[in-house]
Amino acid sequence: MTSYNRDTLIENLLDQTEIILKKAIEWQLIPHSTFALRPTSESWSANECLQHLNSYGRFYLPAIESVLSRSEKTESSTQFSPGWLGNYFTKLMMTPADGIVSKKMNSPKDHAPKTIIESPMVISEFIDQQEKLLALLSTAKKVDLNKVKVGISIAPFIKLKLGDVFSFVIAHQVRHVLQAQRALVNTGVVEEKLKVISLMSLD
Amino acid sequence: MQLIDSIQKLKTFVFSLHPLSDVEWNDFASIWQQGEAKRKTILTAKGETEKTLYFITEGVQRAYYLTAEDKEATIVFTYPFSFSGVADSFLTQTPSLYFFETLTQSSFLKTSHSKVMELLDQYPNFERFISRATAFTLKGALERQVELQTFSAEQKFTTLLTRSPQVLRLIPHKYLASYLGIDAATFSKLLSTVRV
Repeated sequence: MTSYNRDTLIENLLDQTEIILKKAIEWQLIPHSTFALRPTSESWSANECLQHLNSYGRFYLPAIESVLSRSEKTESSTQFSPGWLGNYFTKLMMTPADGIVSKKMNSPKDHAPKTIIESPMVISEFIDQQEKLLALLSTAKKVDLNKVKVGISIAPFIKLKLGDVFSFVIAHQVRHVLQAQRALVNTGVVEEKLKVISLMSLD
Repeated sequence: MQLIDSIQKLKTFVFSLHPLSDVEWNDFASIWQQGEAKRKTILTAKGETEKTLYFITEGVQRAYYLTAEDKEATIVFTYPFSFSGVADSFLTQTPSLYFFETLTQSSFLKTSHSKVMELLDQYPNFERFISRATAFTLKGALERQVELQTFSAEQKFTTLLTRSPQVLRLIPHKYLASYLGIDAATFSKLLSTVRV
Protein backbone atom coordinates (compact mmCIF):
# COMPACT_ATOMS: atom_id res chain seq x y z
CA MET A 1 0.00 0.00 0.00
CA THR A 2 1.10 3.56 -0.71
CA SER A 3 2.82 5.42 2.06
CA TYR A 4 2.78 9.18 2.38
CA ASN A 5 5.29 11.67 3.66
CA ARG A 6 3.74 12.97 6.89
CA ASP A 7 4.29 16.67 6.20
CA THR A 8 3.04 16.39 2.62
CA LEU A 9 -0.10 14.61 3.77
CA ILE A 10 -0.78 17.17 6.49
CA GLU A 11 -0.13 20.13 4.16
CA ASN A 12 -2.59 18.60 1.69
CA LEU A 13 -5.23 18.16 4.42
CA LEU A 14 -4.60 21.72 5.65
CA ASP A 15 -5.14 23.01 2.11
CA GLN A 16 -8.42 21.09 1.75
CA THR A 17 -9.64 22.37 5.12
CA GLU A 18 -8.68 25.91 4.11
CA ILE A 19 -10.80 25.64 0.94
CA ILE A 20 -13.76 24.30 2.94
CA LEU A 21 -13.39 27.05 5.53
CA LYS A 22 -13.23 29.80 2.89
CA LYS A 23 -16.44 28.45 1.40
CA ALA A 24 -18.17 28.44 4.81
CA ILE A 25 -17.04 32.04 5.42
CA GLU A 26 -18.71 33.10 2.16
CA TRP A 27 -21.86 31.21 3.13
CA GLN A 28 -22.25 33.45 6.18
CA LEU A 29 -23.76 36.02 3.80
CA ILE A 30 -26.55 33.75 2.53
CA PRO A 31 -29.92 34.34 4.27
CA HIS A 32 -31.32 31.50 6.35
CA SER A 33 -34.44 31.24 4.16
CA THR A 34 -32.23 30.27 1.22
CA PHE A 35 -29.56 28.30 3.05
CA ALA A 36 -32.18 26.03 4.59
CA LEU A 37 -34.01 25.47 1.31
CA ARG A 38 -34.15 21.87 0.03
CA PRO A 39 -33.55 21.53 -3.72
CA THR A 40 -36.05 18.62 -3.73
CA SER A 41 -38.19 17.21 -0.93
CA GLU A 42 -35.85 14.21 -0.77
CA SER A 43 -32.46 15.93 -0.65
CA TRP A 44 -30.76 17.88 2.09
CA SER A 45 -30.44 21.64 2.17
CA ALA A 46 -27.00 23.20 2.62
CA ASN A 47 -28.04 23.80 6.24
CA GLU A 48 -28.69 20.08 6.75
CA CYS A 49 -25.40 19.09 5.11
CA LEU A 50 -23.50 21.26 7.59
CA GLN A 51 -25.58 20.04 10.53
CA HIS A 52 -24.62 16.51 9.53
CA LEU A 53 -20.91 17.43 9.42
CA ASN A 54 -21.18 19.30 12.72
CA SER A 55 -22.51 16.20 14.43
CA TYR A 56 -19.44 14.23 13.30
CA GLY A 57 -17.13 17.08 14.25
CA ARG A 58 -18.59 17.08 17.76
CA PHE A 59 -17.42 13.49 18.06
CA TYR A 60 -14.09 13.46 16.21
CA LEU A 61 -12.54 16.80 17.09
CA PRO A 62 -12.56 16.29 20.89
CA ALA A 63 -11.47 12.66 20.37
CA ILE A 64 -8.50 13.76 18.25
CA GLU A 65 -7.64 16.59 20.62
CA SER A 66 -7.63 14.23 23.56
CA VAL A 67 -5.30 11.65 21.95
CA LEU A 68 -3.01 14.40 20.66
CA SER A 69 -2.62 15.89 24.12
CA ARG A 70 -1.53 12.48 25.44
CA SER A 71 0.77 11.50 22.60
CA GLU A 72 4.51 11.60 22.51
CA LYS A 73 6.04 14.34 20.37
CA THR A 74 8.47 13.01 17.81
CA GLU A 75 10.49 14.43 14.95
CA SER A 76 11.04 11.00 13.40
CA SER A 77 8.67 8.64 11.52
CA THR A 78 8.08 10.98 8.64
CA GLN A 79 6.16 8.38 6.64
CA PHE A 80 2.52 7.44 7.09
CA SER A 81 1.03 4.19 5.78
CA PRO A 82 -2.79 3.99 5.81
CA GLY A 83 -4.27 0.97 7.57
CA TRP A 84 -6.53 -1.25 5.44
CA LEU A 85 -9.77 -0.30 7.20
CA GLY A 86 -8.88 3.37 7.46
CA ASN A 87 -7.95 3.46 3.81
CA TYR A 88 -11.23 1.77 2.94
CA PHE A 89 -13.19 4.47 4.80
CA THR A 90 -11.24 7.26 3.12
CA LYS A 91 -11.75 5.80 -0.35
CA LEU A 92 -15.44 5.33 0.40
CA MET A 93 -15.84 9.01 1.35
CA MET A 94 -13.64 10.40 -1.33
CA THR A 95 -15.06 12.56 -4.12
CA PRO A 96 -13.88 11.90 -7.70
CA ALA A 97 -11.75 14.60 -9.34
CA ASP A 98 -14.72 15.89 -11.37
CA GLY A 99 -16.57 16.58 -8.11
CA ILE A 100 -19.58 14.45 -9.05
CA VAL A 101 -20.51 11.99 -6.33
CA SER A 102 -21.83 8.91 -8.10
CA LYS A 103 -22.49 6.52 -5.27
CA LYS A 104 -25.32 7.60 -3.03
CA MET A 105 -24.77 6.68 0.60
CA ASN A 106 -27.21 6.67 3.44
CA SER A 107 -26.01 8.50 6.51
CA PRO A 108 -26.40 6.80 9.89
CA LYS A 109 -29.60 7.89 11.65
CA ASP A 110 -27.73 9.36 14.64
CA HIS A 111 -26.03 11.87 12.39
CA ALA A 112 -28.99 12.87 10.25
CA PRO A 113 -30.28 16.41 10.92
CA LYS A 114 -33.58 16.32 12.79
CA THR A 115 -34.71 19.87 13.26
CA ILE A 116 -34.27 23.22 11.58
CA ILE A 117 -31.53 25.20 13.27
CA GLU A 118 -30.92 28.82 12.30
CA SER A 119 -28.27 28.87 9.56
CA PRO A 120 -25.97 31.44 11.24
CA MET A 121 -25.64 29.10 14.24
CA VAL A 122 -25.00 26.06 12.04
CA ILE A 123 -22.42 27.86 9.88
CA SER A 124 -20.75 29.39 12.93
CA GLU A 125 -20.30 25.98 14.59
CA PHE A 126 -18.97 24.56 11.32
CA ILE A 127 -16.45 27.42 11.03
CA ASP A 128 -15.31 26.90 14.63
CA GLN A 129 -14.78 23.23 13.85
CA GLN A 130 -12.69 24.02 10.77
CA GLU A 131 -10.50 26.41 12.75
CA LYS A 132 -10.08 23.72 15.39
CA LEU A 133 -9.22 21.18 12.70
CA LEU A 134 -6.51 23.48 11.29
CA ALA A 135 -4.97 23.74 14.76
CA LEU A 136 -5.14 19.97 15.34
CA LEU A 137 -3.55 19.25 11.95
CA SER A 138 -0.69 21.61 12.79
CA THR A 139 -0.16 19.89 16.15
CA ALA A 140 -0.21 16.52 14.40
CA LYS A 141 2.96 17.49 12.49
CA LYS A 142 4.83 16.53 15.65
CA VAL A 143 3.37 13.04 16.26
CA ASP A 144 3.55 9.63 14.61
CA LEU A 145 0.40 9.38 12.48
CA ASN A 146 0.73 5.56 12.50
CA LYS A 147 1.04 5.02 16.25
CA VAL A 148 -1.54 7.51 17.52
CA LYS A 149 -4.99 5.87 17.38
CA VAL A 150 -8.55 7.21 17.56
CA GLY A 151 -11.78 5.22 18.17
CA ILE A 152 -14.40 5.60 15.40
CA SER A 153 -17.92 6.98 15.91
CA ILE A 154 -19.94 3.92 14.84
CA ALA A 155 -17.84 1.53 16.99
CA PRO A 156 -15.53 3.26 19.50
CA PHE A 157 -13.69 0.02 20.28
CA ILE A 158 -12.36 0.02 16.71
CA LYS A 159 -9.32 2.26 16.72
CA LEU A 160 -7.82 3.71 13.56
CA LYS A 161 -4.53 5.45 12.87
CA LEU A 162 -4.71 9.23 13.33
CA GLY A 163 -3.59 9.75 9.73
CA ASP A 164 -6.57 7.69 8.51
CA VAL A 165 -9.01 9.50 10.78
CA PHE A 166 -7.90 12.92 9.52
CA SER A 167 -8.07 11.66 5.92
CA PHE A 168 -11.58 10.25 6.06
CA VAL A 169 -13.02 13.02 8.23
CA ILE A 170 -11.79 15.58 5.69
CA ALA A 171 -12.86 13.48 2.67
CA HIS A 172 -16.29 13.20 4.31
CA GLN A 173 -16.40 16.98 4.74
CA VAL A 174 -15.44 17.60 1.13
CA ARG A 175 -18.23 15.24 0.07
CA HIS A 176 -20.95 17.05 1.99
CA VAL A 177 -19.64 20.55 1.35
CA LEU A 178 -19.90 19.74 -2.35
CA GLN A 179 -23.41 18.45 -1.72
CA ALA A 180 -24.26 21.71 0.08
CA GLN A 181 -22.77 23.66 -2.79
CA ARG A 182 -24.92 21.69 -5.25
CA ALA A 183 -28.01 22.33 -3.14
CA LEU A 184 -27.28 26.07 -3.33
CA VAL A 185 -26.69 25.89 -7.08
CA ASN A 186 -29.92 23.94 -7.59
CA THR A 187 -31.91 26.43 -5.55
CA GLY A 188 -30.37 29.16 -7.68
CA VAL A 189 -28.25 30.92 -5.07
CA VAL A 190 -24.68 30.15 -6.06
CA GLU A 191 -23.19 29.41 -9.43
CA GLU A 192 -19.50 28.75 -8.96
CA LYS A 193 -18.13 25.28 -8.25
CA LEU A 194 -16.01 24.34 -5.29
CA LYS A 195 -12.50 23.46 -6.26
CA VAL A 196 -11.76 19.92 -5.15
CA ILE A 197 -8.31 18.84 -4.16
CA SER A 198 -8.06 15.10 -4.33
CA LEU A 199 -5.94 13.12 -1.94
CA MET A 200 -4.77 11.33 -5.06
CA SER A 201 -2.73 14.34 -6.09
CA LEU A 202 -0.19 13.25 -3.46
CA ASP A 203 1.08 10.33 -5.50
CA MET B 1 2.98 40.32 -4.71
CA GLN B 2 6.60 40.91 -5.71
CA LEU B 3 8.94 42.62 -3.26
CA ILE B 4 9.26 45.62 -5.56
CA ASP B 5 5.45 46.06 -5.69
CA SER B 6 5.14 45.74 -1.92
CA ILE B 7 7.86 48.37 -1.44
CA GLN B 8 6.00 50.67 -3.84
CA LYS B 9 2.81 50.24 -1.77
CA LEU B 10 4.84 51.01 1.34
CA LYS B 11 6.18 54.16 -0.29
CA THR B 12 2.69 55.37 -1.21
CA PHE B 13 1.52 54.70 2.34
CA VAL B 14 4.51 56.40 3.99
CA PHE B 15 4.46 59.46 1.76
CA SER B 16 0.73 59.99 2.32
CA LEU B 17 1.54 60.33 6.02
CA HIS B 18 4.77 62.29 5.80
CA PRO B 19 7.15 62.71 2.83
CA LEU B 20 10.75 61.54 3.26
CA SER B 21 13.84 62.69 1.36
CA ASP B 22 15.34 60.31 -1.24
CA VAL B 23 18.14 59.30 1.11
CA GLU B 24 15.76 58.66 4.02
CA TRP B 25 13.37 56.69 1.86
CA ASN B 26 16.15 54.57 0.32
CA ASP B 27 17.49 53.66 3.75
CA PHE B 28 13.99 52.91 5.03
CA ALA B 29 13.11 50.83 1.95
CA SER B 30 16.21 48.68 2.44
CA ILE B 31 15.35 47.38 5.93
CA TRP B 32 12.33 45.26 4.90
CA GLN B 33 12.01 41.62 4.01
CA GLN B 34 9.02 39.62 2.79
CA GLY B 35 7.10 37.19 4.92
CA GLU B 36 3.89 35.21 4.92
CA ALA B 37 1.75 33.21 7.32
CA LYS B 38 -1.15 30.79 7.04
CA ARG B 39 -4.58 31.39 8.54
CA LYS B 40 -4.72 31.48 12.37
CA THR B 41 -0.97 31.80 12.93
CA ILE B 42 -0.06 33.56 16.16
CA LEU B 43 2.65 36.07 15.26
CA THR B 44 3.01 37.61 18.73
CA ALA B 45 1.82 35.97 21.94
CA LYS B 46 0.81 37.70 25.17
CA GLY B 47 3.89 38.32 27.32
CA GLU B 48 6.29 38.57 24.39
CA THR B 49 7.76 41.93 23.49
CA GLU B 50 6.95 42.97 19.93
CA LYS B 51 10.22 43.11 17.99
CA THR B 52 8.66 43.27 14.53
CA LEU B 53 6.95 46.00 12.55
CA TYR B 54 4.76 44.65 9.74
CA PHE B 55 3.47 46.29 6.60
CA ILE B 56 0.52 44.19 5.45
CA THR B 57 0.17 43.47 1.72
CA GLU B 58 -2.41 40.67 1.87
CA GLY B 59 -4.96 39.24 4.30
CA VAL B 60 -6.67 40.18 7.57
CA GLN B 61 -5.09 40.07 11.03
CA ARG B 62 -6.26 40.93 14.51
CA ALA B 63 -4.97 41.67 18.00
CA TYR B 64 -7.08 40.23 20.81
CA TYR B 65 -7.13 40.20 24.56
CA LEU B 66 -7.75 36.94 26.40
CA THR B 67 -9.76 37.37 29.62
CA ALA B 68 -9.26 35.33 32.79
CA GLU B 69 -12.33 33.32 31.73
CA ASP B 70 -10.66 32.49 28.37
CA LYS B 71 -12.95 34.85 26.47
CA GLU B 72 -11.40 36.59 23.48
CA ALA B 73 -11.95 40.31 22.93
CA THR B 74 -10.88 41.53 19.50
CA ILE B 75 -9.14 44.89 19.91
CA VAL B 76 -8.13 45.78 16.37
CA PHE B 77 -8.13 44.43 12.80
CA THR B 78 -5.46 45.21 10.25
CA TYR B 79 -5.64 44.93 6.46
CA PRO B 80 -3.59 45.97 3.43
CA PHE B 81 -1.98 48.41 3.06
CA SER B 82 -0.98 49.52 6.52
CA PHE B 83 1.41 48.89 9.38
CA SER B 84 0.63 46.09 11.77
CA GLY B 85 1.88 44.27 14.87
CA VAL B 86 1.26 45.07 18.54
CA ALA B 87 1.89 48.80 18.25
CA ASP B 88 2.15 49.71 21.93
CA SER B 89 4.50 46.81 22.73
CA PHE B 90 6.64 47.68 19.71
CA LEU B 91 6.92 51.37 20.60
CA THR B 92 7.46 50.89 24.35
CA GLN B 93 9.37 47.58 24.17
CA THR B 94 7.30 46.22 27.05
CA PRO B 95 5.55 42.82 27.05
CA SER B 96 2.42 42.61 24.93
CA LEU B 97 -0.95 42.30 26.69
CA TYR B 98 -2.42 40.96 23.46
CA PHE B 99 -2.16 38.10 21.01
CA PHE B 100 -1.57 39.12 17.42
CA GLU B 101 -2.70 36.56 14.82
CA THR B 102 -3.61 36.13 11.16
CA LEU B 103 -7.29 35.56 10.38
CA THR B 104 -6.64 34.67 6.74
CA GLN B 105 -3.58 33.65 4.76
CA SER B 106 -1.41 36.79 4.96
CA SER B 107 1.57 38.36 3.20
CA PHE B 108 3.59 41.24 4.55
CA LEU B 109 6.85 43.09 4.72
CA LYS B 110 8.59 42.99 8.08
CA THR B 111 11.42 44.76 9.81
CA SER B 112 12.87 44.87 13.31
CA HIS B 113 12.61 47.34 16.15
CA SER B 114 16.39 47.85 16.21
CA LYS B 115 16.53 48.77 12.50
CA VAL B 116 13.72 51.30 12.92
CA MET B 117 15.55 52.75 15.95
CA GLU B 118 18.75 53.19 13.92
CA LEU B 119 16.89 55.29 11.38
CA LEU B 120 15.21 57.27 14.15
CA ASP B 121 18.66 58.11 15.55
CA GLN B 122 19.99 59.02 12.16
CA TYR B 123 17.23 61.22 10.69
CA PRO B 124 15.14 63.79 12.58
CA ASN B 125 12.68 63.81 9.68
CA PHE B 126 12.22 60.06 10.05
CA GLU B 127 11.39 60.59 13.70
CA ARG B 128 8.71 63.08 12.60
CA PHE B 129 7.29 60.45 10.28
CA ILE B 130 7.02 57.88 13.10
CA SER B 131 5.50 60.47 15.41
CA ARG B 132 2.87 61.31 12.80
CA ALA B 133 2.07 57.64 12.20
CA THR B 134 1.69 57.14 15.96
CA ALA B 135 -0.51 60.24 16.24
CA PHE B 136 -2.94 58.89 13.63
CA THR B 137 -3.03 55.55 15.40
CA LEU B 138 -3.93 57.38 18.62
CA LYS B 139 -6.61 59.35 16.79
CA GLY B 140 -8.12 56.11 15.49
CA ALA B 141 -8.01 54.47 18.94
CA LEU B 142 -9.83 57.40 20.58
CA GLU B 143 -12.51 57.52 17.88
CA ARG B 144 -13.10 53.82 18.40
CA GLN B 145 -13.41 54.39 22.14
CA VAL B 146 -16.20 56.90 21.45
CA GLU B 147 -17.97 54.44 19.14
CA LEU B 148 -17.78 51.67 21.73
CA GLN B 149 -19.22 53.88 24.47
CA THR B 150 -21.90 55.82 22.60
CA PHE B 151 -23.01 53.89 19.50
CA SER B 152 -25.93 51.47 19.37
CA ALA B 153 -25.24 47.95 18.07
CA GLU B 154 -26.78 48.97 14.75
CA GLN B 155 -24.64 52.11 14.46
CA LYS B 156 -21.49 50.13 15.24
CA PHE B 157 -22.45 47.54 12.64
CA THR B 158 -23.16 50.15 9.96
CA THR B 159 -19.97 52.09 10.72
CA LEU B 160 -17.77 49.00 10.44
CA LEU B 161 -19.37 47.86 7.21
CA THR B 162 -19.22 51.29 5.64
CA ARG B 163 -15.54 51.52 6.52
CA SER B 164 -14.52 47.95 5.63
CA PRO B 165 -17.29 46.14 3.72
CA GLN B 166 -14.89 43.49 2.36
CA VAL B 167 -14.35 41.86 5.79
CA LEU B 168 -17.82 40.29 5.74
CA ARG B 169 -16.71 37.94 2.98
CA LEU B 170 -13.25 37.27 4.36
CA ILE B 171 -13.45 36.31 8.02
CA PRO B 172 -15.76 34.46 10.41
CA HIS B 173 -18.38 36.87 11.73
CA LYS B 174 -17.69 35.97 15.37
CA TYR B 175 -14.53 38.11 15.13
CA LEU B 176 -16.53 41.08 13.85
CA ALA B 177 -19.10 40.64 16.62
CA SER B 178 -16.30 40.46 19.18
CA TYR B 179 -14.70 43.63 17.76
CA LEU B 180 -17.99 45.50 18.05
CA GLY B 181 -18.67 44.14 21.52
CA ILE B 182 -22.02 42.59 20.51
CA ASP B 183 -23.02 38.94 20.68
CA ALA B 184 -23.03 36.67 17.65
CA ALA B 185 -26.83 36.35 17.54
CA THR B 186 -27.26 40.14 17.50
CA PHE B 187 -24.68 40.34 14.75
CA SER B 188 -26.46 37.86 12.47
CA LYS B 189 -29.79 39.58 13.16
CA LEU B 190 -28.28 42.90 12.08
CA LEU B 191 -26.80 41.24 9.00
CA SER B 192 -30.21 40.03 7.89
CA THR B 193 -32.05 43.29 8.61
CA VAL B 194 -29.68 46.23 8.07
CA ARG B 195 -28.99 47.43 4.55
CA VAL B 196 -25.57 49.03 4.23
